[in-house]
Amino acid sequence: MLLHAIVQVLRPDIFIYNLAGVVVGMIIGALPGLSATMGVAILTPLTFWLQPAQGLAVLLGIYNSAIWAGGISAILINTPGTPASIAQTFDGYKLVQKGKIGLALGINTIYSVTGGLVSTIFLILAAFPIANFALKFGPPEYFALGIFGLSMMISVSGKQIVKGLIIGVMGLLFSTIGLDPMFSIPRFTFHNVNMMNGIPFVAAMIGMFGIGEVLFQITENRITKKITLTKELGRIFPTFKEFKLTALPCAISSIISVIIGAIPGTGGDIASIVCWQQAKQMSKHPEEFGEGSIEGLAVTSLANNGVIGGAMTTMMTLGIPGDAVTAVLIGSLMMYGMQPGPQMFIEHADFVYNIMALLIVGNLTILILGLLTSKLSAYILYVKDEVIWILVIGFCILGSFAINNSPFDVMIMILAGILGFIAKRMDIPVGPFILALLLGPIVESNFRRSLALSMGNHLIFFTRPISLILLVLTILSLTYQPVSSYFKRKSFSKQTQ
Amino acid sequence: MKKNTLSIILIILLIVSIVLIAGCTQSTKQTDSNEQSAPSTPQEQKETVKYPNKQINLIIQAAPGGLSDLVARTVGGQLEQILGVPVVCSNKPGASGAVAMSYLQASAPDGYTLGYVPVELSMIKALGFADIEPNSFDLIESSNISPATVTVSANAKWKTLQEFIDYAKNNPEKVKIGNSGTGSIWHIAAASLEKATGVKFNHVPFDGAAPAVAALMGGHIDAVTVSVMEVKSGVESGKLKVLGVMSEQRSEYLPDVPTLKEAGYDVNVAAWGGFAAPKGLPQEVKDVLYPAFEKAINSEKMKEVAKQRGFSIFYKSSEEFTKFANEQFDFYMKLIPTMGLKK
Repeated sequence: MLLHAIVQVLRPDIFIYNLAGVVVGMIIGALPGLSATMGVAILTPLTFWLQPAQGLAVLLGIYNSAIWAGGISAILINTPGTPASIAQTFDGYKLVQKGKIGLALGINTIYSVTGGLVSTIFLILAAFPIANFALKFGPPEYFALGIFGLSMMISVSGKQIVKGLIIGVMGLLFSTIGLDPMFSIPRFTFHNVNMMNGIPFVAAMIGMFGIGEVLFQITENRITKKITLTKELGRIFPTFKEFKLTALPCAISSIISVIIGAIPGTGGDIASIVCWQQAKQMSKHPEEFGEGSIEGLAVTSLANNGVIGGAMTTMMTLGIPGDAVTAVLIGSLMMYGMQPGPQMFIEHADFVYNIMALLIVGNLTILILGLLTSKLSAYILYVKDEVIWILVIGFCILGSFAINNSPFDVMIMILAGILGFIAKRMDIPVGPFILALLLGPIVESNFRRSLALSMGNHLIFFTRPISLILLVLTILSLTYQPVSSYFKRKSFSKQTQ
Repeated sequence: MKKNTLSIILIILLIVSIVLIAGCTQSTKQTDSNEQSAPSTPQEQKETVKYPNKQINLIIQAAPGGLSDLVARTVGGQLEQILGVPVVCSNKPGASGAVAMSYLQASAPDGYTLGYVPVELSMIKALGFADIEPNSFDLIESSNISPATVTVSANAKWKTLQEFIDYAKNNPEKVKIGNSGTGSIWHIAAASLEKATGVKFNHVPFDGAAPAVAALMGGHIDAVTVSVMEVKSGVESGKLKVLGVMSEQRSEYLPDVPTLKEAGYDVNVAAWGGFAAPKGLPQEVKDVLYPAFEKAINSEKMKEVAKQRGFSIFYKSSEEFTKFANEQFDFYMKLIPTMGLKK
């Protein structure tokens, strides 16, 4: 059945539409501020004059390739192209600074495609069990997942743990701006309607990374940078040894990312952050994480694309969006006359297989296109710095305006950029701030929602298995490092005695 | 180093000026068109007769992908064909639509900036989000409606609405009822049901209707009071069942489900939507615009879209729509303060 669907999808017209989607997605994804959600939403109406299979070929192509291409700008200019590629800036940009440009781009492509393919396989084999597991996530579980994510503030801070925690708490405070999630009471909005939805996350993110990075580079002593930055592409493919190194963390990450993708309302941003944390704890070289770790880049590239299969699973089996893009895709499917849900698997099985086949073919297209364009993408590093700066600033302004057509968001983006610049100059990591802004609202609203469910009983977080496991994992991840280094020191001192 | 500081200052100045320019174009446009429409010299009148002669901007108060976006874009596409000028839709989401509606209110009433207005138009003032009411606009026509439901899990022990209400009566504040956010229309639906039946629910707000439906499917809450449209796929897949619909007539999509009125409770809550223009639209513009909207809303394309997505066409002429929106406004101005939200 699936093979039949793949053969069907390999029709030249569908292949061309898929390719078109991939190329459009690549451009949208690589430009900061233009996200996969926006790309799919804007192009949906244009696909209605196509056949359903052709239209979906375009949309799924955009979805997959925008998430992958977001990593390209994260790696090359340290500005995530989409929110899902935040975690790729941790290691990707450092690898480029070390001169491993080709390798960084190659890893992004190869592991993104792996993530996409593996998650599609999950979708094919276990769509219903995954979706039913995702439904088990109620408010207490979201809270515990959010706390687990927040515990990562420490690892993204690198050596500046105290500074990282300070700016992280600042981020949490900023995340309380807007209507409160339970009673809709305006907090710190100063009677400005624009503030009611809180700090716009994407605008703050691209400002902090994009503008912050540009301002920092301008003030940095560029002579030293020129020397460290060799402009050779270098090898694209990782060595067999590197492959072996990443195999286990990637296997675990693909499961985590499929589940996080399937949970309604959580997407690639959270998945890649959680996977990065997970891989760091398992790694034999945790010190490399954040300093250009191949494992780190591999799992984050894999995780944000791995979410797609999970999100599609929930969307197709239950009719509930798994992330922002699938929320738009549901509408598109309905316009094609499909009602996502178990019925679709029975009544339109061929269509379901078509979707799966399109995901597979789309990912293979990305693989070929990605490897072929590595050199082209890397040309961005040959461009004069001044040109890049102006382009990045221009796209940041355009992107932040385009999200909500709102000049207010542009203002926030610039303020975040200045804050990001000051933080960088003072050697404060900005990762914890972004993390807090992303997870703060999830943690707060689900904490209070859980208490509303339990009538104020805090035990609700510990009596439910998934929530309990996540909280225990959080405690373990917080205590593992200091405890193990304490014991190491102890045994070391014993040996020396 | 000095050169660097200089260039940084220059770049910041550049950014600030770009933003200021972007911010200003909006207001200059407004004053320009105000000047155009205010003095009615013969030449000006000639120009307005030609309406429309340039692109029309249609402001959508929600993000792309949702119902509001879909309806507005569908009607916008039809308008484009009817009027023969481009209709450009732009989304300005935020604060239950208050951002977009404030923007629309402040735009020039020249017929070139129009907007989609949802039920929140009648609620925003009562919620204290912004000083907006139906009379702040020239309401064009209404387009769509989707009534609230009382939906529970398919394997819940309640078979009828009465059983559900009896249980809720005997177990005050025990029934966990999910909505799409405090002060949202579906929260008001549950609160209205409380009022009409004299029960007490435990209201649990979610960030939108879809997460609430997911929580119901996962068994984390007992019921939701979201629209027919949002539970339709859950019902079809056998995971959810609808006990009652909060409208005058039964829903075309759930013909077997009784209305609350049939069960003896007078509760009518629905999410509706329509189109509006800034107050003070010239009569010449109305004469062109209103029939065009009437045609667009009642087009085959709209009927097709409504059927696919599960909402109902709800056409009312400008006077009827204005009357309806004001009735709703009065209703919510009375109801919402008693819900204890407004601080």
